[in-house]
Amino acid sequence: MSAGEAMVALDRLNKYFGAERAVNDVTLSVAPGEFVTLLGPSGCGKTTTLRCIAGLERPDGGDIRIGRQTVASASQGVYLNPEDRNIGMVFQSYAVWPHMTVFENVAYGLRVRRAPGHVIKQRTMRALELVGLAQLAERYATKLSGGQRQRVALARAIVYEPKVVLFDEPLSNLDAKLREQMRVELVRLQREVGITSIYVTHDQSEALVMSDRVVVMNKGVIQQIGDPQAIYARPANAFVASFIGVANLMQGTLIGRSGELCEMEIPLGEGRSPLRVSAVGGEGAAMGQTVILSVRPEDILVHLKAPETAVGNLTEGQVIDTVYLGNFLECRVRAGTHELGVQIDHFENLQPGQKVHLSFKPEHGLCLTG
Amino acid sequence: MSVQTIPGAAAADAPQSSRWRSLVTQESVSTLVVSVIVGAAVILPLITLVVSSFKVLDSGGFDTTWGFDNYKRLFTDRIIPKAFVNTLIISFGSTVVATFFGVSLAWINARTNCPWRERLEPYNLIPFFLSPFVGAIAWHNLASSKTGLLNVWAREYLGIETHLLNVNNLWGVVWVTGIFFAPLVYLFVVGSLRRMDPSLEDSARTTGAGLFRTTMTVTLPLVMPGILSGAIIVFVTAAGEFGVPFKLSAPYGWETLTTQIFSKAVGDDANHYLGATMSMALGAICAAFIYVQQRYIAPRSFTTVTGKGFRPNVLDLGPWKWVAFGYNIAFIMVAVVMPILCLFIVSLHPVWEGRIFLNELTTINYEKTLFWWQSGAIKAATNGIYNSFFLAFVGASIAMVLSLVVSHMIHRTKGFGARLLDFLCVVPIGFPGIVLAMGVLVTYIQTPIYATLWIIMLGYITRFFPYGQRNISSVMLAISEELDQSSRMAGASWFTTLRRITIPLLKPGIFAGWVLLFIIFLRELSISIILYTSGTETLSVGVYYLANFENEPLTCALSIAQTVVLLICIIVFRRVAGREALTA
Repeated sequence: MSAGEAMVALDRLNKYFGAERAVNDVTLSVAPGEFVTLLGPSGCGKTTTLRCIAGLERPDGGDIRIGRQTVASASQGVYLNPEDRNIGMVFQSYAVWPHMTVFENVAYGLRVRRAPGHVIKQRTMRALELVGLAQLAERYATKLSGGQRQRVALARAIVYEPKVVLFDEPLSNLDAKLREQMRVELVRLQREVGITSIYVTHDQSEALVMSDRVVVMNKGVIQQIGDPQAIYARPANAFVASFIGVANLMQGTLIGRSGELCEMEIPLGEGRSPLRVSAVGGEGAAMGQTVILSVRPEDILVHLKAPETAVGNLTEGQVIDTVYLGNFLECRVRAGTHELGVQIDHFENLQPGQKVHLSFKPEHGLCLTG
Repeated sequence: MSVQTIPGAAAADAPQSSRWRSLVTQESVSTLVVSVIVGAAVILPLITLVVSSFKVLDSGGFDTTWGFDNYKRLFTDRIIPKAFVNTLIISFGSTVVATFFGVSLAWINARTNCPWRERLEPYNLIPFFLSPFVGAIAWHNLASSKTGLLNVWAREYLGIETHLLNVNNLWGVVWVTGIFFAPLVYLFVVGSLRRMDPSLEDSARTTGAGLFRTTMTVTLPLVMPGILSGAIIVFVTAAGEFGVPFKLSAPYGWETLTTQIFSKAVGDDANHYLGATMSMALGAICAAFIYVQQRYIAPRSFTTVTGKGFRPNVLDLGPWKWVAFGYNIAFIMVAVVMPILCLFIVSLHPVWEGRIFLNELTTINYEKTLFWWQSGAIKAATNGIYNSFFLAFVGASIAMVLSLVVSHMIHRTKGFGARLLDFLCVVPIGFPGIVLAMGVLVTYIQTPIYATLWIIMLGYITRFFPYGQRNISSVMLAISEELDQSSRMAGASWFTTLRRITIPLLKPGIFAGWVLLFIIFLRELSISIILYTSGTETLSVGVYYLANFENEPLTCALSIAQTVVLLICIIVFRRVAGREALTA
């Protein structure tokens, strides 16, 4: 994507709180109409990044551009107030003004922009229809449920057609069922309106379901940018692998390469010969370098007896315990010094202490370098 | 019980008797006793006041008949109708002044990046603890038309012919009452401003509204219930304020209801019954306002605290922050520094005519008003020191014990008694001190406590114990009831629980309330002025006496003494109650 067509562009953005570097050289560009999610654990700098884009925090370094306009630049001393950036924002607490009706809440941005009365009425009602609240227009915000407040906040953020809408964990205050429903609805709405969206969340499934692209952050640094499939299937490093979904991580050494696959040796502790596995990835790693093998629990196969046909990536283990979760069984298995999580969707009477054999297909193993 | 039992009757009897026995517990007995005491203390004076207002004194001044003549006089008297109008003007005016200062200062302190705002806050609140009467004396000496220091300087240095300012009129009263009650509005507003979810403002900013528009359409409307509550309290307090109009406007022809009640009911040809009727009029206005506030405005406060871990961000005012800072400093100057400095300067002069004579400075005024062992001491002033400390110490202690028991009953027991007590605690707030004092006066005038300190103390406690009760209640609401209940589960009685669990947990609230009442009692004027007699003067009555019968320097000396004691109390109060005690 060339920089010219980005709707929002961050260039080496930095923000300090005291000595703490909350945002560390974040560079990102968001295309028009794109839905980008900033994902990471709490304190990873995602909300601070968002607040810098909104103008609620003043960056200490780097530039922010919205459309063709530079809205903040530490080097040029540019800093536009939030109200001058033509953005919409949906807050975690909804921040629906309790002293106004639903209509007045949504119409606020149009009134500020001095839209004529009939335009205000028409566009506010259209926004309310879009979020399904038209019949509650005259109600006071204090009389609304959490989900309804969420919709008001959304309508309020899009009614004046801003260049970009920012979402700060908007669904985290809703209960699980409503959250999933709102997720779907938000995506539908975003596609319908076609508005550029930047969304902050710590909930990985939210990020995977909703986004065109996901930006994984940790400790103020971007770890990986990619579409949801890529982030899940090909995490760039151990942090992303373990943060997105669950991953078994084992340290080892790169010992060979054949075509797409690379060979690794994983020590299993004293008294056991190291496990030799082949896996994908490992690009750029040198022979003998320390690497990390990542395998997802659902990709590990459990055999009660040693398989008769030759199977690669095979090792022995002992069941520690099992947890029954309805549609599958979650099982912890000790293999040498490692403790592996395994998901089994069929059987079976696994007893703690029982010996099992574990294997995984080479394409399900991923060799990571960091 | 060796009564012959009839089958069936016994079954019906047993639960009933145990039910009766369960009603006679430590808890229920003390609840009942306290309710009766509080009820009597609060209701009796008001009933007597109502009854007395219909008693008409005959021309001889001895016999009374029943009738509406007193009420007719409210409208036909030469002065009373005007005093009534003046009271409304003062209340309205000072409400506007106090609301303006209170809201703007609270906003600067809670929502902006004004420099040193945490340091400024305690100074903004000082007038709340000082005596408005003393403030009036100070402003009289600062800005009375002839001898006011500012006017003398204006004539000297600015070449102004007559005078720059004149506080000896209604506007002077409005000004002084306004700045002294500004902290009341401040306290009502600053807490909710500080706790407000910043994303409510942020979302207005991201929606496109500027700083000014956001403040006007989002921030202030959200705290409007607080602003209105504060304004109503100021209105009512100003209507009941006696000292300020007595000092500034009454001698110059602008009487108010309070000064009229005082001069008609306490003077040589005292007519208590007419005083009671005027008190009824004043009380009715105030009670109506407080009712509206309690019933409609207080419950309407918007819940604005939502979301997790928002950082308490403030608005960046840019260079305007220095304007805000200067404005705040200016308020502290006119409300605290200038008045106290002026009192101090005047108090060091043998006589005061508006000029500073550095070579004539003397401490004689302090000796005459404070040194009770000296022969030249003025008894009315020196009595006041002892009496006020006694009243404040004993009164605050009794009031806090009462408050403790009452709050416990309101929050930790259920049933009719609790709700009745809750109501009784609001009633005294609705009536100005002078009105309640008239009620106390007509109620107890023929009992032995009349003309003793105890009648004054009764007035103080009745009027002000709700403040202590509120202080304890707020702490009590924050402490889980389960702490009490688990003590009962462990086998402790109700009283043991109160003594071993509840009171230790409430200690900070109790002590903060005690110091607050101590401060209020130490400066009280409008109750004392009605109930004192020779020998039972209080500090403020002493100041009144000096202002009325002696000269300005003596008045200022005693005022400074009172102010210094109050300032020390404020420091103690902040130490024990913490920064957030008043403003949270």
